[in-house]
Amino acid sequence: MDTMTIHESLHPLEVNILAAFDQTSGPVKDTQLVEMSHLEQSQVSMALGWLQAKGLLRMESEIVTPLVSLTDVGQRYHVVASPLDWILGALSSAHQEDRRLTVKDLQSKEEFQPTELSRAIGLLKKEGAIRLVSGGVVEATGVESPTEKALRSLLIQLHEGPKGLHTFPSSLQTTIRHYSVKRGNTREPFRIEERIERVYLLTPEGHTVAKLCRPGALEEVSQLTPEMLKDGSWRNKRFRRYTINLRPPRVAFGRRHPYREFLDSVKGKLVSMGFQEMRGPLVETEFWDMDALFMPQFHPARAIHDVYFVKRPTHADKIPEPFLSKVAAAHENGGSTGSTGWRYRYDRQRACRLVLRSQGTAVSARTLAANPAIPGKYFSIARCFRYDQVDATHATDFFQVEGIVLGEDINFRTLLGLLTLFAKEMAQAQESRFLPAYFPFTEPSVELHVRHPQLGWMELGGAGLFRPEVTHPLGVTVPVIAWGLGLDRMAMVALGLHDIRDLFSCDLEKVRTMRSRFI
Amino acid sequence: MPTISIYHQDFERLLGRAVTVEEIEARLPLVKGELKDYTPTSGELRIELQDSNRPDLWSVEGITRQIRSALEGCPVQYPFLRTKSRPKRRIMVAAGMENVRPFVAACTAVSYRMTEDGLTQLIQAQEKLADIYGHKRRSVSIGLYRLNPIQFPVTYGLVKPQEARFVPLGFSEKLTLQDILAIHPKGMEFGSILAGHDSLPLLWDKEGQVLSFPPIINSQEIGEVRPGDAELLIEVTGTDLRMVLLTLNILAANLADRGASIEAIEVAYPYATEFGRTVRTPCEFTQVQRISVHAIESALGLPLGTEAIKQALTSYGYEVKASQRKLALRLPCYRNDFMHAVDVAEDVAISRGYESFTPLMPAQFTVGALSPIETISDHIRDHMVGLGYQEIISNILMSPEDLVDRMRLRIGDPGQFVEIDNVMSQNFSCLRSWMIPSLLRVETASPRTFYPHRLFELGEVAVPDLGQELGSRTLTKLGALIAHPTSSFSEVHTSLDQLMYHLVRTYTLEPTSHGSFLEGRVGKIICEGQPIGLIGELHPEVLEAWQITMPVALFELEVEPLSEGG
Repeated sequence: MDTMTIHESLHPLEVNILAAFDQTSGPVKDTQLVEMSHLEQSQVSMALGWLQAKGLLRMESEIVTPLVSLTDVGQRYHVVASPLDWILGALSSAHQEDRRLTVKDLQSKEEFQPTELSRAIGLLKKEGAIRLVSGGVVEATGVESPTEKALRSLLIQLHEGPKGLHTFPSSLQTTIRHYSVKRGNTREPFRIEERIERVYLLTPEGHTVAKLCRPGALEEVSQLTPEMLKDGSWRNKRFRRYTINLRPPRVAFGRRHPYREFLDSVKGKLVSMGFQEMRGPLVETEFWDMDALFMPQFHPARAIHDVYFVKRPTHADKIPEPFLSKVAAAHENGGSTGSTGWRYRYDRQRACRLVLRSQGTAVSARTLAANPAIPGKYFSIARCFRYDQVDATHATDFFQVEGIVLGEDINFRTLLGLLTLFAKEMAQAQESRFLPAYFPFTEPSVELHVRHPQLGWMELGGAGLFRPEVTHPLGVTVPVIAWGLGLDRMAMVALGLHDIRDLFSCDLEKVRTMRSRFI
Repeated sequence: MPTISIYHQDFERLLGRAVTVEEIEARLPLVKGELKDYTPTSGELRIELQDSNRPDLWSVEGITRQIRSALEGCPVQYPFLRTKSRPKRRIMVAAGMENVRPFVAACTAVSYRMTEDGLTQLIQAQEKLADIYGHKRRSVSIGLYRLNPIQFPVTYGLVKPQEARFVPLGFSEKLTLQDILAIHPKGMEFGSILAGHDSLPLLWDKEGQVLSFPPIINSQEIGEVRPGDAELLIEVTGTDLRMVLLTLNILAANLADRGASIEAIEVAYPYATEFGRTVRTPCEFTQVQRISVHAIESALGLPLGTEAIKQALTSYGYEVKASQRKLALRLPCYRNDFMHAVDVAEDVAISRGYESFTPLMPAQFTVGALSPIETISDHIRDHMVGLGYQEIISNILMSPEDLVDRMRLRIGDPGQFVEIDNVMSQNFSCLRSWMIPSLLRVETASPRTFYPHRLFELGEVAVPDLGQELGSRTLTKLGALIAHPTSSFSEVHTSLDQLMYHLVRTYTLEPTSHGSFLEGRVGKIICEGQPIGLIGELHPEVLEAWQITMPVALFELEVEPLSEGG
């Protein structure tokens, strides 16, 4: 970086310090800098640290000086009086009032500790400023106490601020040492500490930069303000350069759930392909969830360990006619569907049993029974429930994407055509394969496998033509494609997840940081 | 659906020629099978079979049979079905069986030697058939015996549980049927099938030797088959005659494929059955179906013509007679899955290969659209995002603790939420009835991610409503929550106010009382005279119950009243 760039990226504190150096053009103590710059000690230290790091100045030496300051006790002596001063004062006023004071009287003064007063009485007596007469009575002699005088002067001087020990004459230095805090005796008025002063020197580069910091150069600011714009004063300012490659702070912002974004793209594609959305209830009867789909009541997937049953009420009052009778007939003997049926006694009470919707196809069944458009295309993204142990591949409830296509032109080949379209639109797959499959409600049935650009060969969905045993009892006589897509694996890859439960995560940090790569 | 283990060498022996694993895999679409796993050292292939209506395919014999038909272009023939002479062996069914386990079918397999592979596969087929097709032996169960010690006729009759005694498989001393049900592992596993019957089914021979106690356990002496055995008796009992007959036909065909000579047995009933009082088994019991070529062509969308369809079906195992545009079809004896012409159409497609059909795009024009509720939902989601809220998607299954206890509400009033009867986990034992608990679950889990937290979820809940057909209603609700050190009613109210302004809805807040909220800081949201939701600051006890250490303000409302015309 050239010096100009360095200069422009300086913090105002650094500019201030460099300007101070520029005035003296020699080594400068940090204590001097505090005076010259009118900054706080901490600000000066901070700026010195930065400037050293930038190689603009270096520390030349450290000066260690003993420094005297008042302790809390010293501050109190300054405000009230030292015990020496006080004793002499008390004796003087007693003398004027013609009273006599005993050692005991003097020791009962509350402001001082008895030991402090005993020590003071001893010293004053030694210096001849007081004498003891009979009866423990203390009298002033009128002789001056040098120690008391020295203390008074020191208290006044040090009250202004700490001073170097060596600035005092040697007699006072003795007094200071005598009355300063030592190990084992903290109740003294003075404290001697070592002050470390550091002497700094500009580096050659620092000299160059410091010249640029002379007053009269443009004032440096970090923030452009409305006032500057109003009065035009921004013209006399220089704007500090930022270090722009630091990481910015994070913020909380509003956002759709990444899984929603994925589902939105799915529903957007389906709508663009001419599909109309259908909705259905979370709680269903076995009738719409399974019977209407020609799953026999003895079907293994209908057992207690596959479907969630509702506790209360357990059953719906009734199933609408003519659907119940027609579906019952289809199961028992085919009814008028041209089928032999499953050949068993259909349990109409069982049809009313309430369950949590176990498959999205239940929504399609309801649509078939509700005068669907012909030709018509429908889809739903339906929450479904299965009686499964929750693990990395099983959520308690999950979305199924499925739908139907009704039309006179529907047959096995148009089914394959629709699936080819899904392979391209939903998985960007150029290659797809059809395998025979089994679903109780479709015939023929197909499994769609696609070569996904990132995931390789994968099963994308299952489909088929609804059996006449499904469509006819619900009043539909044209052929109907039923399809379902398994998109969760794609969603998980898009969101970088390995556990299906994370699609429904309640960890906000996870949701905030989850990203979708639409692949 | 079943996954079975088969062995490469055994497969080749049954197919009659060498074949690579890749070739096997390429043929699996014929049987709706998927290769799950292959172990080259043992030659074991694990194959999943999808079609629950084709139990004949749940064995290596069934799979190779279907592939042989395709390779040879005609069905595999089973001469034992054509023999007309009266069987020399009989099973007499005793009166009373019609009330317990009415049907039995049996045959013998002779003139071959049971191999290790053959026995493994036979036992696997027996297990899959009885377990999956036979509903865990309830509808169908199977017994295999060494034929030699058995003196015909055999009787299938009822006995008192404490009277009959025999040595069951796996034991060394005689037990009564009552003891078997009480202490034998199979008795304990399957005993419930016979619950409620005073007399129990038993098969015994002319000498009074017990063959088995169906559907529970065979006898140790006669009912233990070993490799090297040359003559077998196979017996099937059950509650549905067609299922019993089909199961026996499958097993007979499987053994015939391994070179056994199958001899029929005559079963004599004291009561009428669908196929008379005397039933010869195995037998062809399915009817000839008459189907028009047109029905198949229109289902497949391709004018294949009579001859092509006939050829496809013959290669798939059917017996076909064609005249003009009509087909007379009979399924092979090991299948009984015909219900409708569409079933035949699928077999034609499978036989010809799905890849041989050129896909055709459905051409009719339709207009796509979202439902009104999804349209308004998307609109609201946009606004909530703009207001700075992060969307959450939660599971709908929750617990009563989440919905009531932790919300400082009273439990016990029935009908507050829809409960599951067959609960798997207490944490997921009911459907959520409101949205707020879902958002609080997020707060509980997320104290370490930086604040402020502004969350919303728009999704489905279910509320009990006995006036409804389904005893409940599915509602779409919006929940919005803010949590940070100075979160307040006023802040969340601002969001609600902005949302309602842009949805062009007027609303008022009506002070109310609600256990979950601080008194005096909760209101009903009234829109066009109807209460549609709640807004307020959560009660500290609720926060404590959820272990949340930030003040929380929130609102929840129903979405449907906000949609066009809602």
